Amino acid sequence: MLQLLRIDLKKLTSYRTFWIICGLYFFTLGMATASGMEFLKWLASLIEGFGQSINIDRIPLYHFPDVWQNLAWSSGLLKIMLGIMVLISITNEYSYRTIRQNIIDGLSRAEFLYSKIATNLLLSLLSMVLVFFVSLVTGLIYSPSLNWNYMFNGIEFFPAYFLEVFAFLSFALMLGIFVQRSGLSIVLLLNSYLIELIIKKNIDDYVPQVIQFFPLESIMNLVPMPFARYAFQEIQDYVSLTAVGISLVWIFLFNFFSYLRIKKADL
Amino acid sequence: METVLSIQDLSKHFGRIKAVNNLKLEVQKGQVFGMLGPNGSGKTTTLGMLMGVTNPTSGKFLWFGEEPTPQLRRKIGAVLEHPIFYPYLSGQKNLELNAMIKQCPVENIPKVLELVELTERKDDKYKTYSLGMKQRLAIASALLNDPTVLILDEPTNGLDPMGIAEIRDIIRKIAANGKTIILASHLLDEVQKVCTHFAILKRGNMVYTGPVDDVGKGSETVEVNAEVENLNEILLTFPGTSSVNRENGVYQVTMREGHHGKELNRFLFEKGIVANHLVTKKKSLEKQFLEILAEAH
Repeated sequence: MLQLLRIDLKKLTSYRTFWIICGLYFFTLGMATASGMEFLKWLASLIEGFGQSINIDRIPLYHFPDVWQNLAWSSGLLKIMLGIMVLISITNEYSYRTIRQNIIDGLSRAEFLYSKIATNLLLSLLSMVLVFFVSLVTGLIYSPSLNWNYMFNGIEFFPAYFLEVFAFLSFALMLGIFVQRSGLSIVLLLNSYLIELIIKKNIDDYVPQVIQFFPLESIMNLVPMPFARYAFQEIQDYVSLTAVGISLVWIFLFNFFSYLRIKKADL
Repeated sequence: METVLSIQDLSKHFGRIKAVNNLKLEVQKGQVFGMLGPNGSGKTTTLGMLMGVTNPTSGKFLWFGEEPTPQLRRKIGAVLEHPIFYPYLSGQKNLELNAMIKQCPVENIPKVLELVELTERKDDKYKTYSLGMKQRLAIASALLNDPTVLILDEPTNGLDPMGIAEIRDIIRKIAANGKTIILASHLLDEVQKVCTHFAILKRGNMVYTGPVDDVGKGSETVEVNAEVENLNEILLTFPGTSSVNRENGVYQVTMREGHHGKELNRFLFEKGIVANHLVTKKKSLEKQFLEILAEAH
């Protein structure tokens, strides 16, 4: 598996687009998560303009243990950039026909897919590690006091965030393998939330209980949106095992469908 | 003799089109095997199946007497249709990647680059290469793992005469090392020059297979000219003549089986005629190829 990862990285690390998109992604990820206080200050000044005032110090954005879920959720919004990178990487293999040559040169079809999945795992892992460190550092800076009893409450949102990114990248990979054209697949990826939303809205009145089984919905449910708690609303501040189970099934299915498609295709 | 490749009733159908139909073929070690056929006769489809990128509809094939696996493919160097590389990588990096896939040492790279004379351009991006350089890089990549079998599909496609000569030289060099080569081409002259054996495909069916040396066996054609008025009639009286045509100012005598130009020469001499032009022509592969294709349905 490590050898396969090295093969895929060899293709990507000399590819300028890869560095631009991934550089932009990890830069944005680091900056966006670290600059939440600046965002709050801007929000406060905006609200002041309306003659109201909020005390931003009373919003514990970066306080342990809130910071884990806050940042894990916010970071999840940026995964679309990685998804686009995955699409470019796989659809290039089809448009250059290098997937064909890779097989001729002696990779098995499964190995080719594994090399792509290995990269997805690596990108998900790097995202998780980066966000974890940003959370840890900002938490240490902004938390008024450190209490070891509850400081790491909610740290399970990081494995959940990892699953969220990996599931999404698996979905993107499958989309790329089925569509094979970069432009069309990127448009489909960007619209997939919208398409799922339309379907969800239409069945909401009849069978609301199936909604949680939808692929993108299940990915979103891994790390629930936390910010409503600052408006004194009840939120889900734990990782739902049902959501984890459903996502794991989807991760398996996405990659399995990719496998079937690659196995059967004449390349 | 050792059988390198054995194809047993291999078929590939695309819907109603039978791209390859019950193909049976054996390639022995050390052969330079030419696969001939017009465009769309199933050459590339066959090679695609042999290299695991096209799934056969039915039938099977054995490499070195074994069921095909990715590990076996690493021992075979193949270029199908046209060169395929990552355009944004340099020639060197593309070969490094291939070495990783084939699990062979990167130390082989300078050697193959030298063979195809690309050493100077190795650090330039693949997309800046000319077509001839791309073809040569593809051959370098096929040779990277020091394969025992080399598959080349139209390796001179789209090249200028110099490029064609270069590639032909490379193929000769490789063949001289005792490697088995399977060469698909529609350049018949090419095949006749480098191949030891050949097969002809037509619409997915194999219509002929045999050694290249057998080409030209059977009836001969003799070109004759002499400064005699009624040469045509005299030639027809020769017992070995099957037919006479006048072409390009000379008489083309098609001989009956077992008769040769020497006898015709003696016959004319005995008649008191001295030919100023007498050439025994072996049938070219091209002629035989066209005949076989015309006969096959």
